[in-house]
Amino acid sequence: MRVTICIGSACHLKGSREIIAQMQQLVKENRLEEKVDLNGSFCSGNCVNGVCVTVDGELYSLKPENTKEFFEEHIMGRL
Amino acid sequence: MGVTVDVAYKSLNKFTEILCGDKVELLQTGDSNIMILADGMGSGVKANILATLTSKILGTMFLNGATLEECVETIVETLPVCQVRQVAYSTFSILQVFHSGEAYLVEFDNPGCIFIRDGKLVPIPRNIREIQNKKINEYRFKVQKGDALILMSDGTIHAGVGQILNFGWQWEDIADYALRQYRVTISAARLAASISRACDELYQFRPGDDTTVAVMRIIDQKPVHLMTGPARNKDDDQNMVAQFMSGEEGTKRIVCGGTSANIVSRVTGKRLNVSLDYQDPDIPPIAYMDGIELVTEGVLTLNRVIQLLRTYVKNETVTEDFFLELDKPNGASMVAKMLIEDCTELEMYVGRAINSAYQNPGIPFDLGIRQNLVEQLRKAVEDMGKKVTVHYY
Repeated sequence: MRVTICIGSACHLKGSREIIAQMQQLVKENRLEEKVDLNGSFCSGNCVNGVCVTVDGELYSLKPENTKEFFEEHIMGRL
Repeated sequence: MGVTVDVAYKSLNKFTEILCGDKVELLQTGDSNIMILADGMGSGVKANILATLTSKILGTMFLNGATLEECVETIVETLPVCQVRQVAYSTFSILQVFHSGEAYLVEFDNPGCIFIRDGKLVPIPRNIREIQNKKINEYRFKVQKGDALILMSDGTIHAGVGQILNFGWQWEDIADYALRQYRVTISAARLAASISRACDELYQFRPGDDTTVAVMRIIDQKPVHLMTGPARNKDDDQNMVAQFMSGEEGTKRIVCGGTSANIVSRVTGKRLNVSLDYQDPDIPPIAYMDGIELVTEGVLTLNRVIQLLRTYVKNETVTEDFFLELDKPNGASMVAKMLIEDCTELEMYVGRAINSAYQNPGIPFDLGIRQNLVEQLRKAVEDMGKKVTVHYY
């Protein structure tokens, strides 16, 4: 599964770095390195909402606070 | 193929002084680069005024084609007379290098210019001319790629006098040190910083006199193209990228901005790989693309680049620590390093589109004003003595 997190200016200010750190941690904890491929991307075009995260092409807006929940639901839930 | 120059200088103020009594002017004419170093008598405000007047008069008159006689005469007539010593006095050195390779050196009472070629010192012959009772040395010669020329104020040769060294740091010893540093440094900035650092150490970090080292290295032209921001009108994307990608072989290219990087990737058909490595918590990670030396995020990175360049231009604050910062692998340090050390002329390709996401009160500063950042960047790079051209789209 390919997950991309936007690190453009607007998303950076909304917490990309924290979300990336959390995701990397979650992937490690759940031993999903083989299954989940974390990538960066520049501006995904939806800067106004939260941090842009794409899971297999589908676009979501995240906040650092709901990263864990999102990971469980949309990433682990789909595997 | 003409020659071009990499110029940089570093001044240390006499201990406890806020102003420096040495002044360096870096100028460009249509066909030459000029570096002037003036050392005003005394220290503090008075010396600063004398040195500033001298270097500005020389620079302005030279730019307008005045002869050396006219310049010296004007300086003698203009400088205010010191109340204590009843003389008006400032030393100076002028180095002018034409794109054709012709060079012209004028020296008045400063320590002699250190001239390094092929890893050896080249002696500068004495050819004294008397103008207004001042003995001035003139030397016309040809430079070649790789040459380094170092102008100094006498604070260098007085370093450590009566403290660590009986007679100060002799010219021959400085020249020898410069030669060794010449081999291990690539840019004028680092060579100037290392010599000045050595002086500072000999003074035990309390310089007894204003100390300045100004370095000119003869190098090939190193054009850098920097693109930032999407064009206001989407139809211009293609044209903007084409211009950005044009230029002679050896041109280095930087893209600052996520959307811009996506546009370049789309137009050139090269894949963009964005890394997730946060080398610095405040600067978003860089990305990689074939054919582009450096791809970074836009406004946050540029903001930091400007801070770094300003620190560099301000000069008093450039220490070896600054170069450690410059060597860090974050986007901003990498852009600043390229602009300081690997660039002789900068072409900027700037898009005027406004990113609606930045028109948001939650964002700490006004990111919308990319043009403002570009103007600040232009100013900082020009202050380094480099030519800057900005193209808007």
